[in-house]
Amino acid sequence: MKTNTIVVCFTINGEKKELQIPAAISALELIRDVLELKGTKEGCGIGECGACTIVVDGKAVNACLMFAAQLDGCEVMTVEGLSPAEGLHPIQQAFVDRHAVQCGFCTPGILMSTQALLMETPHPDRQQIINAVAGNLCRCTGYQSILGAVEDAAAGGLKGKSRQKTF
Amino acid sequence: MVDMDYIRPQDLAGALDFLAAHGPDTTLLAGGTDVMVDLRAGKLHSRYLLDISRLSEFRKIEACNGELTVGAGVTIAEIYASKTIARHAPALQKAAAAFASRPVRNVATIGGNVAHCSPCGDTIPPLLIHDARAVVVNPQGRRLVDVEQMADGPYHCTLRPDEIITGFILKVKPDEVEFVDFQKIGRRKALAIARISMAVMAQQQPDKSIGFIRFALGSCTPTPHRFRQIEEFLLGKVPDENLVWQAGRMLADDMLAITGRRPSALYKEPAIQGLFVRMMVALI
Ligand SMILES: Cc1cc2nc3c(=O)[nH]c(=O)nc-3n(C[C@@H](O)[C@@H](O)[C@H](O)COP(=O)(O)OP(=O)(O)OC[C@H]3O[C@@H](n4cnc5c(N)ncnc54)[C@H](O)[C@@H]3O)c2cc1C
Ligand code: FES
Ligand code: FES
Repeated sequence: MKTNTIVVCFTINGEKKELQIPAAISALELIRDVLELKGTKEGCGIGECGACTIVVDGKAVNACLMFAAQLDGCEVMTVEGLSPAEGLHPIQQAFVDRHAVQCGFCTPGILMSTQALLMETPHPDRQQIINAVAGNLCRCTGYQSILGAVEDAAAGGLKGKSRQKTF
Repeated sequence: MVDMDYIRPQDLAGALDFLAAHGPDTTLLAGGTDVMVDLRAGKLHSRYLLDISRLSEFRKIEACNGELTVGAGVTIAEIYASKTIARHAPALQKAAAAFASRPVRNVATIGGNVAHCSPCGDTIPPLLIHDARAVVVNPQGRRLVDVEQMADGPYHCTLRPDEIITGFILKVKPDEVEFVDFQKIGRRKALAIARISMAVMAQQQPDKSIGFIRFALGSCTPTPHRFRQIEEFLLGKVPDENLVWQAGRMLADDMLAITGRRPSALYKEPAIQGLFVRMMVALI
């Protein structure tokens, strides 16, 4: 069967890409199957779990609900783009310190929701944090450690200076 | 793999040219939050996806001469953040606050929400209380469609395949109206599709009697509706507990008259009445 293809140009984690891809694949398929970036997860595939959350032009979106073609011309960030060449990003470090990661399946998505939140609102209150991660299901942690980790990350600023431990 | 072509027209004229030639084989794509889910469920069989999400004609929010225009491509997150909408159509803003999750709100559009014609579309009851009309364009011209007439059944849109909604025209909230609310009941708090939703705005005279009221119900009937009988019943009366319960009873009866007694009525009948009373109690 002939597959209709299109060319998309976008930046992902700082790197420019120009790719010919099937016209109707999702952004999630593009990221996982074509670019082989496996940090972005597929849970439900229909926008309900948030495991596939990525940041597009500064906003958190569900990669499973977006066509890859819609990324054309956009700036995309996945969890792979969060960490520096070595070590962890301050948000990631806060999640580790707070034991906010158990099985870890939800973690990349929550990190991306957090990244988008802190880019928009560097000092969120608890309700803003809850709103930002309400679309990310976690079956393990019970959320409290996640909310605490986001608070810590925000308190340290995105550069991750003094983080207070409150447990 | 689904085999579809993806087309992104440069402007509205380009989109209409394409629809003139391929309308019946085309699905319009805005935020994609319904299109993707339908595609995955095997419910979509068109040959072309026409991406209208970047057309600048679709993105304005503007109040002028007692009318508020909201472009079809305005996202739910943009509705939530808009001061103009908060001032002139606060129920719409409340609906945006309770809508899905942040990542969905960031891309889902009001045009897609209305065009998808789900009985549970959260933006529809707020649009109805503002007598909203959709601005619809087609290769021949332009027409206005009452949002209440957009669907003739669940998920069934009355627009032709060569038509696009460019925006909505709402009557702004009258200045003297102080009471505005949108309420929904879902299975859970976040990411819940409404099982019952209601939008209301009302104004009380100095003697407390109701001088102006608009009320719409979503999710309970095949398409969301204004309930004008309830509005007429309450107009001119001074609300007390008894009157509000009576109106809630009427609402549940009117809903049952439309849907018949389905199994879900056992839950919905008292829940509608309860939610209505909880919302209207503010007027007592
Ligand atoms: C996880 C999840 C949670 C959700 N929660 C809610 C909720 O709480 N409340 C709620 O109301 N909805 C909810 N929805 C549905 C909601 O996201 C959609 O109805 C959305 O508003 C549709 O907008 P879109 O831009 O994504 O449209 P698309 O998916 O791009 O399009 C939807 C339909 O409208 C047509 N269309 C789009 N734009 C136009 C236009 N300008 N003119 C004519 N036709 C057009 C398309 O062809 C398609 O048929 C949810 C969806 C998901 C996946
Ligand atoms: S996989 Fe995208 S939200 Fe679940
Ligand atoms: S840590 Fe397992 S789902 Fe969140």
